[in-house]
Amino acid sequence: MTHPAASAEGVSKRFGATLALHRVDFAVAFGEIHAVVGENGAGKSTLIRVLGGVHRPDLGVIRVNGEERHFASPREAIAAGIVTIPQELRLVPALSVAENIALGDLPARRFGPLAVIDRARMREQAQAVLAELDFAPDPWAPVASLSVAERQLVAIAKALHRRCRIFILDEPTAALEKREIARLFSVIARMKRQGTAIIYISHRLEEVVAIADRCTVLRDGRVAAVAARGAFSVNDLVGAMTGRAEQQALFAPLPSGEPLLEARLDGVTDVRVRAREFVGLAGLLGSGADRIIRRLFGAAREPTMVEVRSKKHRLASPHDAIAAGIGMVPGERSLGLIMNQSVRDNILLPNLDMLSRMGYLDRAAGDRIVAELMELLDIRPRQPHLKASVLSGGNQQKVILAKWLARRVAVLLLDDPTQGIDVAAKAQIHALIADLVGRGAAAMIYSSDLAELARLCDRVLAVRQGHITATLDRSGGIDEPKLRNAIGG
Amino acid sequence: MKGKGRRWNLAGQMPLVSLIVLCVATALLTNRFLSPFNVTNILVQSSIMAVIAMGMTFVIVGGGFDLSVGSTAALSGCIASMVMLEAGIAAGVAAGIIAGAAVGLANGLVIAFLNVNPFITTLGTMVLVRGVVFLITGGAPVSGEAGLPSEFVAFGSDRFLGIHYLVWIPAVLLAVLSFVMHATPYGRRIYATGGAREAAYLSGVPVRKVIASTYVWCGALAGVAGVMLAARLQSGQPTAGEFYELTAIAAVVLGGASLQGGEGTLYKSVIGVFIMIVLGNALNLLNVDSYWQRVAVGAVIIAAAAAERLRSRGSR
Repeated sequence: MTHPAASAEGVSKRFGATLALHRVDFAVAFGEIHAVVGENGAGKSTLIRVLGGVHRPDLGVIRVNGEERHFASPREAIAAGIVTIPQELRLVPALSVAENIALGDLPARRFGPLAVIDRARMREQAQAVLAELDFAPDPWAPVASLSVAERQLVAIAKALHRRCRIFILDEPTAALEKREIARLFSVIARMKRQGTAIIYISHRLEEVVAIADRCTVLRDGRVAAVAARGAFSVNDLVGAMTGRAEQQALFAPLPSGEPLLEARLDGVTDVRVRAREFVGLAGLLGSGADRIIRRLFGAAREPTMVEVRSKKHRLASPHDAIAAGIGMVPGERSLGLIMNQSVRDNILLPNLDMLSRMGYLDRAAGDRIVAELMELLDIRPRQPHLKASVLSGGNQQKVILAKWLARRVAVLLLDDPTQGIDVAAKAQIHALIADLVGRGAAAMIYSSDLAELARLCDRVLAVRQGHITATLDRSGGIDEPKLRNAIGG
Repeated sequence: MKGKGRRWNLAGQMPLVSLIVLCVATALLTNRFLSPFNVTNILVQSSIMAVIAMGMTFVIVGGGFDLSVGSTAALSGCIASMVMLEAGIAAGVAAGIIAGAAVGLANGLVIAFLNVNPFITTLGTMVLVRGVVFLITGGAPVSGEAGLPSEFVAFGSDRFLGIHYLVWIPAVLLAVLSFVMHATPYGRRIYATGGAREAAYLSGVPVRKVIASTYVWCGALAGVAGVMLAARLQSGQPTAGEFYELTAIAAVVLGGASLQGGEGTLYKSVIGVFIMIVLGNALNLLNVDSYWQRVAVGAVIIAAAAAERLRSRGSR
C-alpha cells in the first residue's frame, strides 16, 4: 500500500482562547498538487506551520511517508523532506546563487586540518539542481541582483538540493508579475512530474482552480470541503470558504465633483483627482507607480507641491500631507502599523492632534472613535487593546484604513492594499473605500492586480518609467487586456 | 473596571514581584535591612539613579541608547558648582541642568539628523564630555574655598515631611513625566517612533524631532542628577557618575523595557533601579565579598533579560 507523502490526521491546535485547528485531516501524495484555501484566520497558516515544524499539534499526528513524526523545529521538518517556501525567502542577499544553494552543506576539500570550499563542485551542484527547474542564472551572481521571482526559484533549488520532496508553497505568486507566474507554474508542473508533493496556499482562487489536483477548504479551523480537480470552481471555493454565495461587488460610477488633489510631478506629470473619483495607477514592478503614491504623500526624498481643495501645500513629510487632508495605506502592512502596539494606539496615532485638549489626550474621545471605527469596519476581534501583530492580514489592513477614516481625509492614497488578503476581506475593503469615495472623498490606488483596478476604478493612469503614459476611463471601457497593453506587460 | 484591568496582569508586573521577593528574602536573612537607617539609605541611593533611569527610559522607548549620562551628570555637577560660587544657587542649578540638556541636544541632533548610530555617538560624547569636565575643573573637585553655599549643601541632606529632598525630586518627576509619556500626544509619538520608525513616519509623526527630543530629556535629567549628586557630595566631582550609564541601562531593562524600542514604562524603570540598589545593599548587609558582588549583579542582569525573552517568546 502506498502512503501519502505527508499527512495530518485529526490535528488540533489551540492558541490561548482561539482554536486555530480542529481535528483537521489533510494529505498530499507524491506527484500531486494539493491546494489549501480559506479566509484569513481559517487556519491555513497554522496548518502549514504544523506540517513545517514551526508549531507542534496539541492533538493528532503528522506522518511523512506513513511514518509518524514529531518535529521540534523547521530544521527537523526539512530533514524529513518537508520544506516551506515562504513569502519572505530566507536567502542571504549578499551571497551568490551557488553559495545560497549550498549553504548549510558546503562542499569542501580537506588539506589536513584545513577545509577549503570546493567552488567547482559547488557550481556544478547548483547548476544541476537549477537545471531541474529549467533555470540558468549566473551561479556567481549575488542573490541581491535577482528579481523576486528568480529568488523564489533559487529558494526552491536550495530545497531540492537538500533532497526535499514535499514542498509547501505559501502564497508563491503574491509578488510576481503575470509572466513570472506562468514560469513558476511550469516549474511547479515539472516538479510534479518528477514526483514532488506540493501543498499550494494562495488567495488567488483562479490559480488554485488552474493548477491544483485537489483542494482543501478550511473554515474556522475545520475542513469545510475537499474536492478533486474539475469538481470545483472559483465560486464554489468562495462559497465553501465563507459559508455563503459570493456577492460580486459592483460599483456604479458616481458623478465626480470638484478637484480635490492636483499636482505636477517633475514638472511634467500632471495628476488630478476629483471628489467621488476612484483613480487607479497601473504599472509593472519598477515602473514608478508606487513612487507616485509616495510623492503625493510627501514621503519621497524631495518635497512635493500639491493643491488640495485648490489650496497650495508643500509636502516635505507625511506630517504635511496628513495636515493637508491626505492619507496613505502603504504597500506593506508593517509600514502601516506599529505591530507591537495596540489596535487603539495605531488607529489614534495620526489623529493625536484632534484628541489633544490643552496638551493632554482626551481618552474618552479616543475610546469612542476607536469603538465606532472597529464596529464600522468590522475589525475582529473587537478588542482595542490587542496588539496589532496578532490580527489577521485582512483585519490589520482594516485598522490601517481606520486610521484615515478617523480623520475623514479628503484624499486616500493606497499602495497595493489587498495584496495577500483573502477574498472576503478584500471585498470588504473595496466596499469601505467605495463608501469613503461615495461620501465625497477621493481615492487613488496602485495595484499589481490589474483585474482589481479594472473592476474598481473610474479612471486608470498607466505608468511607465515614472511617467503617466496613458489614461483609460470608464467611458472608453477598462479591462485587464487593455491595461496590460497600456503598461507594456 | 471592566476591561480596564487588562494592563494589570501578573506577567507585566515581574519587576515589582522580583523587587518584593528580593526585599522579603533580605528582610528574613538580616534584621538590619528594614532598619530606618538602612531604608533611608536605600531611598537616597536610589534617588539619583532613578532620575537618570527615567531619562534613559525616554531614549530607550524611542528606540535609542545613551552611554553619555554618567559623564553628563559629572559635567552638570561641576558646572552647577562653579556657577553657584559666582552667581548664586538658582543660577548654578539652572546652569547645571542646561549643560545636561545641551549635551543631550548635541547627541540627539547627531543621531536623529545625521543618522549616526546611537551607541557610537554617545560612546563618543561619554569620552568627550568627561574630557571637558577635566579641562574645566583641572581635575580637582569644585567646592570653592568656603565650600558650596550652605543652603545647597543642606538640600543634599535635609528632609521634608520626614523624607529627604533628594527623594522628593524623583517622586515628583515620576508623576509629571509619566503624565507626559502616557497622556500627551508627544508621549504616544515616542512609543510609536520606537516601535516602528518608518510606520510612525508614514503616520505623520515627526520622527527625527521626536528622537532628538528624547536625548534632550535624557541629558537634562542627567543634569538634574548631577546637581543632586553635587549637593550630596558637597562639591562638584569631576570623577563622579562613572558607570552610571550602565547601571541606568540595566535598571531600565530590568524594568521590562525593550532595547528594540517602543516598550518601557517610567515607574517600572524606577523599580529596576530599586532592584539594582537593594541587591547591592543586601549583598553588603550579608557581608558578601565585594568581588563576588559584582559577579552576582552581572549574573542577575543577564538572568533578568533572559527571563524576559523567554516570557515574551512564550506568549507569542
